[in-house]
Amino acid sequence: MTAEATEGSESTTGAEGTESPESPAKGAAPGPRALARQRRRATVARFWNEYRRHRAGVFGLAALSLFVLVALSAPLTVGSDVESVTNAPGQPLESPSGRFLLGTDQFGRDLLGLLIWGSRVSLLVGLLAAALSVTIGALIGITAGHFRGWYATVMMRITDWFLVMPTLVLAIVLATVLSRSLGTIVLAIGVTTWPTTARLVRAQTLAVESRPYIERAKALGGGHWHIMSRHVLPNVMPLVLAQTTLIISSAILAEATLAFLGLGDPAVVSWGGLLQDAREAGSVSSGDWWYLVPPGVGIALVALAFTLCGRAVEAVLNPRLGVSR
Amino acid sequence: MSSVSRPTTAEAGAANGPGSAGAGRPSPSPRARGLPVGAYPRYVAGRLAGAAVSLLAVLVTSFFLFRMIPGDPVKFMTGRRPVSAEQIAVYRREFGLDLPLWQQFTDYCGKALTGDLGTSYQFRAPVVDKITEALPNTLLLTGTAFVLYTALGVFLGTRSAWRHGGLGDRLHTGLALTLYSIPSFWLGLLLIIVLSVGVDPIPGLFPTGGMESGREEGFAHVVDVAHHLVLPVVTLVAVEYGQTLLVSRSALLDEMGGDYLTTARAKGLRDDLVRRRHAVPNALLPTVTLIFVNLGRTVAGVILVETVFSWPGLGGLFYQALSVPDLPLVQGLFFVFAAAVILMNTLADLLYPLFDPRVGR
Amino acid sequence: MSTHDQHGSGRTGTHPRRIRLLASAGAAALLLASGTAAPSASAAEDDKVLTVAVAQSVDSLSPFLAVRLLSTSIHRLTYEYLTNYDPEDNHVVPGLATKWKSSPDKLTWTYTIRSDSEWLDGQQATAKDAAWTFNKMMTDDGAATANGSFVTNFAEVTAPSPTQLVIRLKQPQATMTALDVPIVPRHVWEKVDDLSKFNNDKDFPVVGNGPFVLTDYKPDSYVRLKANKDFWRGAPKFDELVFRYYKDQDAAVAALRKGEVSFVSGSPSLTPAQSASLEDEENIHVNDAPGRRFYALATNPGARAKDGTKFGDGHPSLLDQRVRHALFMAVDRKAIVDKVFQGHAVEGEGYIPPRFPQYFFEPSADQKLAYAPTEAARLLDEAGYRTNADGKRLGRDGKPLNYRVLCHATDPNDKAVGKYLEEWWGELGISITLDCLDNVTDPWLAGEYDLAFDGWSVNPDPDFVLSIHTCDALPATPKDTGATDNFICDKTYDELYARQLAEYDPAKRADIVKQMQSRLYDLGYMNVMAYPNAVEAYRTDQIESITTMPSAAGNIYGQDGYWSWWSAVPAGSGDSSGGSSSTGAVIGIAAGAVVLVGLGVLFLVRRRATADDRE
Repeated sequence: MTAEATEGSESTTGAEGTESPESPAKGAAPGPRALARQRRRATVARFWNEYRRHRAGVFGLAALSLFVLVALSAPLTVGSDVESVTNAPGQPLESPSGRFLLGTDQFGRDLLGLLIWGSRVSLLVGLLAAALSVTIGALIGITAGHFRGWYATVMMRITDWFLVMPTLVLAIVLATVLSRSLGTIVLAIGVTTWPTTARLVRAQTLAVESRPYIERAKALGGGHWHIMSRHVLPNVMPLVLAQTTLIISSAILAEATLAFLGLGDPAVVSWGGLLQDAREAGSVSSGDWWYLVPPGVGIALVALAFTLCGRAVEAVLNPRLGVSR
Repeated sequence: MSSVSRPTTAEAGAANGPGSAGAGRPSPSPRARGLPVGAYPRYVAGRLAGAAVSLLAVLVTSFFLFRMIPGDPVKFMTGRRPVSAEQIAVYRREFGLDLPLWQQFTDYCGKALTGDLGTSYQFRAPVVDKITEALPNTLLLTGTAFVLYTALGVFLGTRSAWRHGGLGDRLHTGLALTLYSIPSFWLGLLLIIVLSVGVDPIPGLFPTGGMESGREEGFAHVVDVAHHLVLPVVTLVAVEYGQTLLVSRSALLDEMGGDYLTTARAKGLRDDLVRRRHAVPNALLPTVTLIFVNLGRTVAGVILVETVFSWPGLGGLFYQALSVPDLPLVQGLFFVFAAAVILMNTLADLLYPLFDPRVGR
Repeated sequence: MSTHDQHGSGRTGTHPRRIRLLASAGAAALLLASGTAAPSASAAEDDKVLTVAVAQSVDSLSPFLAVRLLSTSIHRLTYEYLTNYDPEDNHVVPGLATKWKSSPDKLTWTYTIRSDSEWLDGQQATAKDAAWTFNKMMTDDGAATANGSFVTNFAEVTAPSPTQLVIRLKQPQATMTALDVPIVPRHVWEKVDDLSKFNNDKDFPVVGNGPFVLTDYKPDSYVRLKANKDFWRGAPKFDELVFRYYKDQDAAVAALRKGEVSFVSGSPSLTPAQSASLEDEENIHVNDAPGRRFYALATNPGARAKDGTKFGDGHPSLLDQRVRHALFMAVDRKAIVDKVFQGHAVEGEGYIPPRFPQYFFEPSADQKLAYAPTEAARLLDEAGYRTNADGKRLGRDGKPLNYRVLCHATDPNDKAVGKYLEEWWGELGISITLDCLDNVTDPWLAGEYDLAFDGWSVNPDPDFVLSIHTCDALPATPKDTGATDNFICDKTYDELYARQLAEYDPAKRADIVKQMQSRLYDLGYMNVMAYPNAVEAYRTDQIESITTMPSAAGNIYGQDGYWSWWSAVPAGSGDSSGGSSSTGAVIGIAAGAVVLVGLGVLFLVRRRATADDRE
């Protein structure tokens, strides 16, 4: 959704009823805190009910759960031994067999094991980079929306500047400048992808702050921090959630891209790194598809799953979107 | 195309990645809306001034950004050859590296304004020459891909929207999303294996890389280049058309709620005609913005496809320049990449009011 | 695709017509393709073209500036050098010079220049050209960029007559028959204003006198050369030689497999997987030759300059010879050859590869640092580097030992061996940090590393690779760049070096060279792990025969001389490389047309179906 769209029309802002202080639950005796909790629970339940109706979203979520499960259980199923080159079990570049379901790499290591082991890094980098990106974006978006004035102008100028920067080029430069490590990759992706979120969040913040109850809160003596954390943040959270899901998908692709270009940490097994290894070993010319295909499929599936989830979340939040069910 | 640029692509003034499948109109800038009658010239002037400022900002940042790259260019140039301190000083002077940073910067800006981006360290040729050598190749690749993926995306998108929820729609949307999630370099490698090297029953139909075999002349040369162009273009189209499809689809869906369509149908116009005459042109409007923004980004994002297919374009040059680091060349290329985005954004901004009948001129 | 759009907006109900239209469009495209492909096939029919795939781009085509292997190989083909090396056994043979002799004081060398070598424009190549070339390099910094080191010891170069070149030296120099400098035509090059900026890539054909003529160049695409029919040694058998650029080696190998190119050079070597898969191909010959490179693990002995200034930050523990020996004894060279190179290498011994048997040195049994991890651990204990409770070995400062290993990001072997080192040395309780960079020059010259992957290509005359370990090669001050490889400075070694340089008797010189290598081996700063083979491949249906160097078992690309390309004989079938490309284009475009038509049909059928649904 565009910043303008969200900004312009009240109807598209936020989730329906994610937070509606104007329609207080009447006749309930419990204190305001319990009330809020209750309301949140109801919101989540309603959200889930809506979400369930998006088949693609459910599929994405299921796929994701599977991948996360595989990644989390990797230390138990394959263990770090799979990375060892001196104790590699097979011959170099064996094609798939009963013993090695996906064959072996140029060191004779089990590719299926490496694939599972590598999923941890790919997912981790994706999540961390997205978290970094969304945190920066949300922080700048909320503050720029809340404070207005010169601060907002400067922040939005910076955001606009980052928007016209060719992101891949910038990320490559950053990854070159800094040492080759996972942290660098996370930083390179996080620092280059936040402006989208910043603009969306700012627009949403502006919309939220124009509502009457914010006026009331201000009149009652609510400070900047109170307004931003108690009123704005809960309202932009759904948007941030959707944005996070989508950015994770890009971040996973970006990680693969940078690793493929040889900018990753050579000591760490990741899907992008496996692809780079495969190409360096000569699997394209030799037609060793079993080395090249699985990591790519992994990347594509995870990225797709996150995208599907993100779309479903967006569709729930904004039913006017024409996402197919 | 570049995976890294995805989220931003979705928002670069326009919006609507595959994620945000819809939501209203990606308008180029808030100012483009509700333009009062006769304000267009002033609007144009404003946009152009904005673009100029952005370009200047890029020039400034590219200069300082790349000073952060570790590595002494003189040491690279001389490599492991024995060089005396005096000789190193001579080189530093020759490339202006002995001056204080601010003076290097003013020199750089001054020259840049006259169209001189300095001399490449590793090729010992003007940066502008190196870029103009490679630019046409990149433009050929991105231009061809751009035309194809835009046509395909808009066409399939509008069709999907018209019959949204149907089997075809779900199929197209699903395929677009899937292709969009595929790393472009990986797809390129697979295409090389299957269609270029050849897997048993399939013979290798296309060249494995490069832009020309370097032997044909005249018309045969054109065919030769076209032949080399196929796989890189297919790769770019496959990963790029999805976004256009999704945006034009949601734009049309948005439009289809409009009363005037119901009216048109009520008038007894054929379904097909209603779509063609009324809905599609209106829905195309927001898509135009995205299309232009995409073109700018594709130029920068083509690095991967150029790498995989050994295409002699800007991407390959950038990569070579970065590993040195060949500062003048890196700066020049970065400037070109950013300028492409700025240029296309501005173009979209300028065209938008012209296309939108609801915006006065 | 645009056809779809155009037709798609037409009226419904006329499907058959539209299908016909699409089909005919496809047919037209096909016709067009086959028609256009025909002339290209005929144009290339008579010419025998040898296409070489390279994964390196040209840095400059000026002989004064070019340093990359591709560029210098092209200069070998287009300009004559004073001398050449015999492809059989590397002994020096005539090039532009037919004879040479040194004066009794070893300081004056007189070369007789041949009178049957002509520049492309018909002028004769003379001693004046050679004298001008050397003098330019001695006086103009820009001209000394690439080959300046050859002339640093020159006092004066003159040409008393067109057939006589005289070089006077400051010091005796045994390498005067190994001056690998392209001699350029004076009448062309004296017009160049600034040699440091002139790339020689605008005016084609380039005036030269080698076996090939440089006729065309497109950056990152190709370099095209034509046979020089008037070459004094005889014309090359192929009519044309094209170097095609591929971004990476695997793309080049794919091109060879497909027949787009006739030859693929390893850069520097094909990977084991590539050679294994190519060996199965019918029309491809894999040339697996003993290499001229050594692949070593260099240790930082503490960087310093000649003025005594120390700089860099090499780990102090590495100054202990026992530590260096222990580290190397924990490196299983056999495993590296078997696993990383998969047999396409020879286990490392001395400094100079066995490919040069007269200089090859093997450590004696009690000198050899054989693979013995337990012995290595004992040696470390003895040196005072003991393990703590966690099994980590501690340095003098009480911190666990962790070495930074500098590696080339572009070399897969570095990364692979790095993985092994990590595990082998991990067993000893020493951890490493692999520092893989595209360009290692900076930390290297600054001495900011502990260990580094190192390797040099050894010339038939080993002087250069020996000279880079002398104290004299150290930089004068930390601000200078020295010729030194990794800051080794050892008196014993230097004395031997001086002796071999002044020794004009080959056998005696070879003996001194072996002593030098023995010293280097004991020092443990330069540990040779392997001599990688040069693995390259060519299509036997395009190249019938080609000279390797040395001829018994040698390499093809990057020879010291132009032998390979000059001698290559086209295969009888006349199916020169790229010949299939036009047929490929036809099939390719036809396939595209079929897909297009298919899509069109599919879309029309679907369209009708859905249109019916709707109404």
